[in-house]
Amino acid sequence: MSVTVPRGTLLVEAAKLVKVEVPVFCYHHKLDPVGACRLCLVEISPGPPKPTTACTTPAAEGMVVKTDTPLAVGARADILEYELVNHPLDCPVCDKGGECPLQDYTFRHGYPTSRIDAPRLHFKKPIPLSEKIALDRERCVLCYRCTRYYDEITWSQELTTDERGVHSYITSQFDQPLKSVFSGNIIDLCPVGALTSRVWRFESRPWDMDHVPSVCSRCAVGCNVTLWKRRHQLVRVTSHENDEIDEGWICDRGRFEYTHVNSPDRLKVPLVAGAEATWEAALTALLEGVQGRKLGIFLPQDITNEELFLLRRLVDGPWQDARVALERRTLLAPPQGETLPIKDLDGCKAIVVIACDTADDVPIVNLRVKKAVSKLGAKLLVVHPGHLDLDRWPDTFHVRPNPGETAEAVRRLIGHELLQEGPVGILYGDGHGAEDVDALTQAVVDLAEAVGGRVMPLYRATNERGALGVRLAGRQEDLEGCDAVILWGPGRPPASARFVAAWDSVPRPEHEGADVVLPSATFAETQGSYTNLEGRVQFLRPVLPVTPPLREGWDVLCELGQRLGMPDMDYLGIFHVQRQASRAVELFAPLADPPAPVPNPTPVLYGPARP
Amino acid sequence: MPDNVRPQSGDSRRDLRGSYGPARHHLLTSLFGIEGLHTLSVYRDRGGYSSLRKAMFEMAPEDITAEVKASGLRGRGGAGFPTGTKWGFIPKGVPGPKYVVVNGDEAEPGTTKDRYIMENSPHMLLEGILIACYAIGAHQAWIYLRGEYDGPFGMLMAAIAELRAEGILGDRPLERDYPLDIQIYRGHGAYICGEETALLESLEGKRAQPRARPPFPAVKGAWGRPTLINNVETLSNVPWIVAHGGAEYAKFGLGTAKGTRLVSVSGNVQNPGVFEIELGTSFREVIMEMAGGPPPGRRMKAFWPGGCSAPVLPEWGLDVSTDLDEVARAGSMAGSGGVIVMDDSHCMVRAARRLLQFYAHESCGKCTPCRVGGNWALRTYDRVLEGQGSEVELGTFDAIQESLQNGRCLCALGDSAGFVIASTMKHFRSEYEEHCLEHRCSVEEQVVAASA
Repeated sequence: MSVTVPRGTLLVEAAKLVKVEVPVFCYHHKLDPVGACRLCLVEISPGPPKPTTACTTPAAEGMVVKTDTPLAVGARADILEYELVNHPLDCPVCDKGGECPLQDYTFRHGYPTSRIDAPRLHFKKPIPLSEKIALDRERCVLCYRCTRYYDEITWSQELTTDERGVHSYITSQFDQPLKSVFSGNIIDLCPVGALTSRVWRFESRPWDMDHVPSVCSRCAVGCNVTLWKRRHQLVRVTSHENDEIDEGWICDRGRFEYTHVNSPDRLKVPLVAGAEATWEAALTALLEGVQGRKLGIFLPQDITNEELFLLRRLVDGPWQDARVALERRTLLAPPQGETLPIKDLDGCKAIVVIACDTADDVPIVNLRVKKAVSKLGAKLLVVHPGHLDLDRWPDTFHVRPNPGETAEAVRRLIGHELLQEGPVGILYGDGHGAEDVDALTQAVVDLAEAVGGRVMPLYRATNERGALGVRLAGRQEDLEGCDAVILWGPGRPPASARFVAAWDSVPRPEHEGADVVLPSATFAETQGSYTNLEGRVQFLRPVLPVTPPLREGWDVLCELGQRLGMPDMDYLGIFHVQRQASRAVELFAPLADPPAPVPNPTPVLYGPARP
Repeated sequence: MPDNVRPQSGDSRRDLRGSYGPARHHLLTSLFGIEGLHTLSVYRDRGGYSSLRKAMFEMAPEDITAEVKASGLRGRGGAGFPTGTKWGFIPKGVPGPKYVVVNGDEAEPGTTKDRYIMENSPHMLLEGILIACYAIGAHQAWIYLRGEYDGPFGMLMAAIAELRAEGILGDRPLERDYPLDIQIYRGHGAYICGEETALLESLEGKRAQPRARPPFPAVKGAWGRPTLINNVETLSNVPWIVAHGGAEYAKFGLGTAKGTRLVSVSGNVQNPGVFEIELGTSFREVIMEMAGGPPPGRRMKAFWPGGCSAPVLPEWGLDVSTDLDEVARAGSMAGSGGVIVMDDSHCMVRAARRLLQFYAHESCGKCTPCRVGGNWALRTYDRVLEGQGSEVELGTFDAIQESLQNGRCLCALGDSAGFVIASTMKHFRSEYEEHCLEHRCSVEEQVVAASA
């Protein structure tokens, strides 16, 4: 088999293109190669008659790579034997069992029998690395993916190796719990069961779960995730690599904040005055309650585009005077003109981050900035009053304006020496309310014009961009003065409220004493789509069924519309809503083309070939 | 050994162990033993720093590299890579700093030559470093010094302070606009720090673990910059080469290995020490004559010709010459020149076990074969020596030695551990079989019988 690859492509990547498996532990396509595990040994010619690591050797013109010579096969089997010398072989109780490269490789490339007769080395285990992650040092094969990830990708030296030789072990710095918001990715990275999720621990086996690729509902970045279910429960969330957005990383919020989906407290039945009721009765009570009153509606950050479209129709029609607030929204206006897509950060020669703690607000954009800076050589400028994790890069140019003076500080960057070379990416947030956003936005636009850069407004709420697209993104304060409110998600009723309808998946203290309570579906159940901060529409794929009497939000909104006497509210299904929304709202045009309902299963552990 | 001169009685030199003093082939050690040689004034009185002056005022940087190439000098740290070629690998005309890093982490068991140089003539080393800096276009040199070397550290610090005071180090050394500086970095006591890329990691303040090559340090070394890494002894040869010319140096030695080298002889010999020999001298001369051979009544059994990382040679190896290529043809390595001699009172299985203990302890843990293999072998040796061996253990030794060698590991440490097993099994298989199959040790029985 022969293959032509771009210059610099590593042998292990070239092998993927011709579907030859070269087993790897230390190599990961998003991390720099180190050649530590020695599992990817192949023979190359022309070259010395000895095995060479495929993960550190770039392909060359006319190079012949042999993976099946006795030397190469034996060398790989030897390494697998070594990995098992001290491995506890506790696969039956290991969470990795079933999706474990060490298992798979040992079956495919290892010796059929074991020569190991010595007693194994032991470590204390399991060690809790944080509230979410457990470390089993005996299972560890010391591939250093986790420590390298922490160093290279997140710029936080929280994980390290202690001792040396066969006694080496992974440990957190000074045995302190991991604090990084990106810690969960090491669970996906670990090629054995050494790093496991304490949230998912002992919950299920991989072969016992169904999974679908979907979109994360926790912020505006729109990382792709894989949702795993077992017996009608969402049991795990892992990353789903999409190089245009997340490159295979997700933050801990996206990974671990799913347990409310399975909560025994889940609301399943509507309540009227605290008593269970039918949907019919509950919606009647709701419509009566808001009738003739000044209506305020609080929206959850993960409201779907379809629900926004229907709500827009309601607010254009019978609920004309209603005020709408969106959870976690920034004060930023919809972007004017072209914005910078996340993937184009890779090509930037200089990046300016303004008035936003990206690690907190848009975590995966933060990692993309770090990659552009440390791996691709972009210059980094930060305008923010506080200390950010981006300051860990020694060459970060950090301007610390007083709160409220960021706009002037941004203007002063015009003509800065680090911005001489383009393309320049300018990322800006709203300073969490400390800034005059209009002035700041104007300053950013002026800076972009002066240096020829493109801007990326950093919205916070998951579907803030979609809500802005249908002009439904007010603030919680906007609800003051309303005497009837519908609280969809974690909103507080204003003091003036005479009538409160709560619409949520779990009971909340804020909703105590609501007149009407409607159960809502979660991101794992609902159909629909989100618009991420770049304006990209991505479809959710429900992993759990909506079991009656639970109903999806768009369905409930349709019924409300019909009850209020609106025409054309009797949609035949969500596709019908999507088609109409795609014609009505420019931002939602991609809704006309939803993806195939059954996605192809994707491998979880191996990434695609590196370009 | 006609002109192996130890100072005659009445000479004012200090008494050192080994060979030094005015002999035709004493290029490095001719001045050793002179009282006060470690001071700048005495060293300069004896012609010191004239080579640096010559290099900086009479020669172009390329000429110096050419002379070193012509000398046929090969690295004295272990691998024996041609020094001039290595200097030629440093890219020219790239913007930004380049560095010279001196490998003074002499941790190879049985090797003490670098310490011998640094304690006797620190200025000879410093002069070599400065010439190398000038030749490759570096302004900063680092001496990575073995952490345990307190004596050499003090002497080098004093010597560097003298150079600073005299203006030979600083912004205008010898009145020329070519800033030069030397810093010392003390290691923390790990054998792996002597491996050049692990040394660089350690120098940068990280865990000392080797890097995958390429990129080689000449392209991407300390702090990602082009870096020349040479051994202490290698650089100490440079002043002589510059003073007398590469062709003159090449008159010493044979074949592709030119010049002289320091061998440190230790173990069961009557007169251990550091000897400067012309390359090509046979090991018989080195061990039996210079070092006095094994103690009376004992028989030479085996020796490690180049530190314990080189495969062991049995008695017949005495007739091998110290020429780098000839040692390689005999199935071993000239390595760092640390000759460890064992007489017939030593059981080779026990010796191999002790060395494996060293390699298992010093494995950095980065690559799998070395990390696990060394420890596995050690535990297997322990079982065999406790009399629990069998045919299986012989197979295990074979499997481990094979999977440690020949590019399977990230650096040469794993190979060295493999050499220990492979070479002792190759030359002394009968002892292994005795231990594994018969659960006895004939060497021990003989020693016990002799002492009874």
